[in-house]
Amino acid sequence: MSHGHEKKTLRLDEVTIPRNHWWNTFMVAGAVAGVAGIGATFALGAADHHQLYYSYLTSFMYFLTLALGGMFFVLIQYAARAGWSVVVRRIAENMMATVPVFAVLFIPVVLGMHDLFHWTHAEAMEDPILKGKESYLNQEFFLIRAGIYFAVWIGVALYFYRSSTSQDTTKDLQTTRRLQAISAPAIALFALSITFAGFDWMMSLDPHWFSTIFGVYTFAGSVVATFAFLAVFSVMMRRAGLLGGVVTTEHLHDLGKLVFAFTVFWTYIAFSQYFLIWYANMPEETIFYRHRWENSWANISAFLALGHFVIPFFFLLPRTIKRNATTLVIGSLWMLFMHFVDLYWVIMPNHHKHGVHFSVIDVTAFVGVGGVFLASFAYLTKRHATVPLGDPRLPESVAFENF
Amino acid sequence: MARHKEKIFGVLAQFESSQDIFRACEKVRDAGYTRWDAHTPFPVHGLDAAMGLKPSRLPWIVLVAALTGASCALLLQWWTSAVDYPLIIAGKPLFSWQAFVPVTFEVAVLFGALGALLGMLGLNRLPQHYHPVFQSKAFDRASDDKFFISIEAQDPRFDTSKTADMLRSVGATHVEMLEE
Amino acid sequence: MVSVPKDFDPRTYDPVEHRAPLVLGDHDFHTVTESIARPVEWKPPIGWYLVLAASLSLLGLFGVAIGYLVWEGIGIWGVNNPTSWGWAIVNFVFWVGIGHAGTLISAILFLFRQKWRTSINRAAEAMTIFAVMCALSFPTIHVGRIWLLYWVFPIPNQMAMWPNFRSPLLWDVFAVSIYGTVSALFWYTGLIPDLATMRDRAKTRIRQVVYGFFALGWRDSNRHWQHYEKAYLILAGLSTPLVLSVHTIVSFDFAVSQLPGWHTTIFPPYFVAGAIFSGFAMVITLMVVCRSVFKMQHLLTYRHFENMAKIILLTGSMVGYAYAMEMFIAWYSGNPYEQFAFLYRAFGPYAWAYWIMVSCNVISPQIFWFKKARTNMAVLFIVSIFVNIGMWFERFVITVTSLSFDFLPSSWAYYSPTIWDVACFAGSFGLFLTMFTLFVRYLPMVAIAEVKTVMPQANPHHASGMTTATGGH
Repeated sequence: MSHGHEKKTLRLDEVTIPRNHWWNTFMVAGAVAGVAGIGATFALGAADHHQLYYSYLTSFMYFLTLALGGMFFVLIQYAARAGWSVVVRRIAENMMATVPVFAVLFIPVVLGMHDLFHWTHAEAMEDPILKGKESYLNQEFFLIRAGIYFAVWIGVALYFYRSSTSQDTTKDLQTTRRLQAISAPAIALFALSITFAGFDWMMSLDPHWFSTIFGVYTFAGSVVATFAFLAVFSVMMRRAGLLGGVVTTEHLHDLGKLVFAFTVFWTYIAFSQYFLIWYANMPEETIFYRHRWENSWANISAFLALGHFVIPFFFLLPRTIKRNATTLVIGSLWMLFMHFVDLYWVIMPNHHKHGVHFSVIDVTAFVGVGGVFLASFAYLTKRHATVPLGDPRLPESVAFENF
Repeated sequence: MARHKEKIFGVLAQFESSQDIFRACEKVRDAGYTRWDAHTPFPVHGLDAAMGLKPSRLPWIVLVAALTGASCALLLQWWTSAVDYPLIIAGKPLFSWQAFVPVTFEVAVLFGALGALLGMLGLNRLPQHYHPVFQSKAFDRASDDKFFISIEAQDPRFDTSKTADMLRSVGATHVEMLEE
Repeated sequence: MVSVPKDFDPRTYDPVEHRAPLVLGDHDFHTVTESIARPVEWKPPIGWYLVLAASLSLLGLFGVAIGYLVWEGIGIWGVNNPTSWGWAIVNFVFWVGIGHAGTLISAILFLFRQKWRTSINRAAEAMTIFAVMCALSFPTIHVGRIWLLYWVFPIPNQMAMWPNFRSPLLWDVFAVSIYGTVSALFWYTGLIPDLATMRDRAKTRIRQVVYGFFALGWRDSNRHWQHYEKAYLILAGLSTPLVLSVHTIVSFDFAVSQLPGWHTTIFPPYFVAGAIFSGFAMVITLMVVCRSVFKMQHLLTYRHFENMAKIILLTGSMVGYAYAMEMFIAWYSGNPYEQFAFLYRAFGPYAWAYWIMVSCNVISPQIFWFKKARTNMAVLFIVSIFVNIGMWFERFVITVTSLSFDFLPSSWAYYSPTIWDVACFAGSFGLFLTMFTLFVRYLPMVAIAEVKTVMPQANPHHASGMTTATGGH
């Protein structure tokens, strides 16, 4: 441990990805996987549209929640005037800035609306309860709302991304002041949009079922996965020497603590929802858990409780695990996997009501959407410095130590 | 205790700032002393390393306490609700683990918190009625704005005059002998 | 390192290139100790005695009200069928909510390394403990036959019966009493070094003995600090989920039922946000007063209040989010009872209470979007009072509206409190204020040891702190 933190000035070339670095291959591989995966998804799914769109929606939601989680991370760092996180913030900014791609990736969801959402069928509106929801659950308003969500997300993402990357060269303190001021209202917009997106794209798959906490549940899962993604890429890029040597064990430790804390938060929210519905035992609500506690879905439910809480809780609890890059990555990759299981568990039982049915399309959709997401992420990372060079709190972040 | 040292407990040296005590601690540590301590009005960041202290074992005590609390609570609820006084309530199973989560969690926290406070006091050998450092009038400021190092006579490297000189050389502004 | 300009305006100074100081003025460790210890060591001004006298009279009222209640039974309150939970439960949830900010400030802000907490955590934790005492008194007297209160504990008894662990009310017994206990432990842990300071400064024998007894022989040893800091961190780590769990369990009292307006899944986080909201409001109310009475302007700076105002704004908006979700899902659920409950809440006979709640909790904090409001003590004080009122009404709206319109229209009735309801509520303020008044007189209201750690000269690598040259003796 060095005393007296001698000030280190980062040069642009230390935090720029070199021309012939494997990062470029990574980007191209992502793009190829994206095209191939989406192509295969549609080719294989031609025979089974339901499976096609359900698999697609699962992966779409998975990577979208990562991008939105990145946005939340950036916004909250500005709102809290955080110092420690500056060195890893660019990674989250790059995640966030992939949001416009998701507006394009949303097209298959629109195409598959009829296969995904029972309430789009004319006969569904013969049900008096669904008829009562018609002013909200109708195709026009659904599309308008989707348009609003993407407008908000793209607006916030690009504004923050452009301001932050331009600050790399301008070093303008005013940029930070402006982003700090705007971050709080942006968080309000973010909270409302992710809530209603969760209602629209996941909760309304079963249009009878409702839960007031569902928006918070969507958010909680998204944030765990985002911190895990940040931890994985911080370690990976640090090992590849792409972060200018400023990301230290201290930052990894903090990311580890956040993965741990939000794993517990997710559990708190998930348990609250389950517990209240279990206890009150009202049929219109318990149906959600009944679908997931019958036949082979019970295994996934049990695995979710174990894998999204019990195992990571005890694994990530010791300080040494979070301070060791390898164990941190293992824990984070596990949480990234469990976030997929979580969304699969929310979405898929609406299609396979009689038991788990894994499909190869699940895999191709994941590879496809994931490839596009990672390629966009890699491309954005390459375009600018990997660390916000012009941020006034960069020295504070570099010198940061845990107590 | 220190029979052969003629009831000398050790030496107490005063320092004026956290910077001074930090460097002094590094010097005392590097000089090989083992039975010594620093006294500061607030925890000085990084002083544990400057003194060469090992990490605290407290987390393990707390973990064991919390798990004990959780097990006891769960056991109590299972035994009272499902064994000793079985009564169906609200159509729920006798052993409704869901309903037992709140109390299990609370009791785990209670035991953990008690473990943290009592474990801390135990590791620190507190409460302690008397300690030789309290003889020093200057030491009253240890809880205000002055910083101290005390080196015990039992330390194998302790030598009444050499140790005091060493402390002065690393920046002590006031050095005094403490009796047992 | 950019240095802090000497003549900055603490209201507007908010640099991004470095951190604004948390202790204002030209203070060293000794003057900080002096300024915090002063209210504990001085002869209190006449005002202190007046506040104590007023608080004690209210406490006396509480005693009378409880005495009459025990004598006569809970029939002296306005509770009846169908509204069997009246002000007593409202007051319970109100006080428990207030009791959340203390441990929150200490624990969560500690874990998030919010260093500004050091100036307010001691008073907030004390407030927590006193608020929990008030909270616990309401269910205690609500049982009516309080000599049978031991039935709620799992004690082997002659009836060979055990308490019902599947009841949310029993979870409350555990949650709130454990919360009170752990908050007290946490508070006491933080107090140990300061009690040692008071012991070492004591001018009278009695002070030396009493403070010395509770200081446990603390000698500021770094070997002790090491375990101490670990214990503090762990207590913070344990208290954080504890804070969340306690108000979650309080929300379960309502939400595990099937009553429209009570049974909704967002209740746990919504209650927690509301608790933090009301707790911070009470901290602001008390701190605005203490700041000027005890001359703590250098420790309770504009920055502290600004941060608290932001948390009020954030949690107030979260509560607003929860109100909106409840309304939306009540409509979306298609459940006519649920829709009815919320329609009646907003437009039925209790609409006045609902709109007081919305105005105080959601609308009034919106003024904190403006920095001018966040740094104006009068505005802070007034809004914090509004929030306290609004949060009391929130619990009133939840408790009373759902109960008074139950599933049997013939039993619907409008609930009104009696004079004894009012006396109990006012009396609980007597308990709270008496404890707080005694606290500021006998214990340091700012954590002396902790606040020193956020001063620049505490940093062992701080350049200007070298007072002596080494090796030159």
